[in-house]
Amino acid sequence: MIGLAFRSLRKRAGAFVASFLSMFLGATILMAFASMLDTANGDNVTGTAKSTLTTMASVVGGWGLLLVVFAVTSTLTLSVRQRAAEMALLKSIGATPAQLGRMIVGEAAGLAVVAALLAIAPAVLAGRALLGLLHDTHQVPGEVSYSFGPIAVAMGLGITFVSATLAALLTARRATRVRVTESLMAASTGTAKPSRKRLVFAGLFLLLALDEAIVTCTLMRDKGSDAMATSGQADILAAIGLALLSPLIMRRVTGLLAGPLRMLGATGDLAVTNMRRRTGAMAAAVTPIILFTATAVGTLFLQATENAATRAAGVAKTADQKGIETLNLVVIGMVVLFTAIMLVNTLVAATAHRRREFGQTRLAGATPRQVLGTVALESVILTVTGVACGTVAAVFTIVPFGIARKDSPTPDGSVWTYLAVVALAAVLTGATAYGATRRALRTPAVNAVMP
Amino acid sequence: MSRNKAVDQAGASAPHGEALRLEGVRRVYGAEGNQVTALDGVSVSLPAGSFTAVMGPSGSGKSTLLQCAAGLDRPTGGRVFVDGAELAGDNEAALTRFRRQRIGFVFQQFNLLPTLTVMQNVTLPLKLAGRKVDRRHARAILERVGLGERLDHLPAELSGGQQQRVAIARALVTRPRVVFGDEPTGALDTRSARDVLGLLQEAVRVYGQTVVMVTHDPVAASYADSVLFLADGRIVGHQPQPTAEAVAERMTHLADEVERQRAAAGANMAGANR
Repeated sequence: MIGLAFRSLRKRAGAFVASFLSMFLGATILMAFASMLDTANGDNVTGTAKSTLTTMASVVGGWGLLLVVFAVTSTLTLSVRQRAAEMALLKSIGATPAQLGRMIVGEAAGLAVVAALLAIAPAVLAGRALLGLLHDTHQVPGEVSYSFGPIAVAMGLGITFVSATLAALLTARRATRVRVTESLMAASTGTAKPSRKRLVFAGLFLLLALDEAIVTCTLMRDKGSDAMATSGQADILAAIGLALLSPLIMRRVTGLLAGPLRMLGATGDLAVTNMRRRTGAMAAAVTPIILFTATAVGTLFLQATENAATRAAGVAKTADQKGIETLNLVVIGMVVLFTAIMLVNTLVAATAHRRREFGQTRLAGATPRQVLGTVALESVILTVTGVACGTVAAVFTIVPFGIARKDSPTPDGSVWTYLAVVALAAVLTGATAYGATRRALRTPAVNAVMP
Repeated sequence: MSRNKAVDQAGASAPHGEALRLEGVRRVYGAEGNQVTALDGVSVSLPAGSFTAVMGPSGSGKSTLLQCAAGLDRPTGGRVFVDGAELAGDNEAALTRFRRQRIGFVFQQFNLLPTLTVMQNVTLPLKLAGRKVDRRHARAILERVGLGERLDHLPAELSGGQQQRVAIARALVTRPRVVFGDEPTGALDTRSARDVLGLLQEAVRVYGQTVVMVTHDPVAASYADSVLFLADGRIVGHQPQPTAEAVAERMTHLADEVERQRAAAGANMAGANR
């Protein structure tokens, strides 16, 4: 089975692009930050410089681990699901679930090693740039020289390998337990109601977010920038809660928009029925948009409020405050990168999955333009819903922080920042869906409907 | 409504017009040097209100013939006329518009949209064409195919035979000039197959519809008014008023017949060379 795993990696590299990309980027970021630990161990590094470097490495490293597991799981799950036919074939010629599991894990592990090794060179460059940034903002004295050593390599390779294997184990467990016919049935008419477990978790995450918000407003009031510690994650918690509720939200949105959309003729009509019957797939696609908007808006406005408050107090930023700002921006960059990969990957996979449906629609008399129109409408609704939910989640961070930091719930920062985030979400969703659909439409309709 | 009625009357008053004509249609697949000729100059003329079966062994080009005639594939050479209008257009949108005005299609794998109900599936071609959706007409057709009680079911909730009857209703709803069937009974059990063939026959006999059906089943072919035999991309025979036995007999010897024809042609060629 391991042999088969390497064969399929070699012969069909395309199927693994998204997983590889998230591992490669993850490893790059992990190693770049881990190299701060190597740097901190240098001879002439002392005091604040050492602690700044260590904090930077551990905070971002922890985030990176979480993101890599999340992104790799989501990309792997999709790539395995797309190969349902191959899995069924392997089962029919006698592969046991354990053997299939070994194949999936083997593929992921092999991919992780290659990704991490290739990531070393860019990680050295990124680490150097990061230290340069710390030098320029005087958080670390200029005489501290860069070092990329054993800690970086060990952490980069180790964490990437472990998180990829972990993600693969999770994927394999899910993929091999379901019988293939069942999973195919579920995919074609996926109206699955969200499970009770999902609702409970959603409630839990939203409560946690609310708790953090309340703590920020009360306990952390007038504690200055320390309020960031409690308000910082509230948006992510709320976003995860809302993402878990997304099947319900999508159904609601569809219900609300059904009337107006139907006025747009056949394309609107098709979009409504698709969204109604495929809430599961739509929810999967809206999740990264929610996470993306929530973290980007939440953190950017949190930082803007903090900057405004410091300015108002008329004091210069301390090295610590600068460090936190850098950290915030780095985390944002990372989250944006990974959610973007997830978003693109989810949409590409979901669209490829619809090739047959597109073919059937075309055979029923739809022009390519009508199919594209339907997908465009769906993308608009996805973006609007995702951005709305993400903004709500971001409020959990920025409003309490504003109250705590400067007794005003309105955040500082420019409306253009917000619009830029929204535009990025819209462009990513729209461009990906459009490109993937164009590609699906290139197959002649008669061939596309072949089972 | 009134326009549609007029069309119906025109169709009824002139049932012997020409519904489909192919002139020297060729279809070649593959790149230079590795080409496969799927259709080798096929010419056919089918009158309106006829029910024709196209038979041939696997790889004889019968599906290609159907796809070229129905505007789903573009012939490499030759011309196709549906109801007097030439099937032309350089992009898919143009072909689609041509198809949805004049052609209905029934596939082996039904190809109903899984997310749409029976009624929505049947009215979809009308909506896509921007035509007025006459739900009464759609309902009448669905009743005709025996599914008047299942308008709100999803395809997955129906049997194969029922799904194929929905597909027939969908093909008929636009009042097309020609309905094409690509092995429409290929995925059905004997009884459902008989129902489906009966419906196609009824569309021809009662409503003057033109139907062209590709099949490899002699029993299915026997429902048609005439059978065209295809081998190696050419029409090699024609049989009016077919019975299942006669068609099966002819199919059994089709390979020999083609071999003989080819040998004769070869001998002629050799003679000419000498």
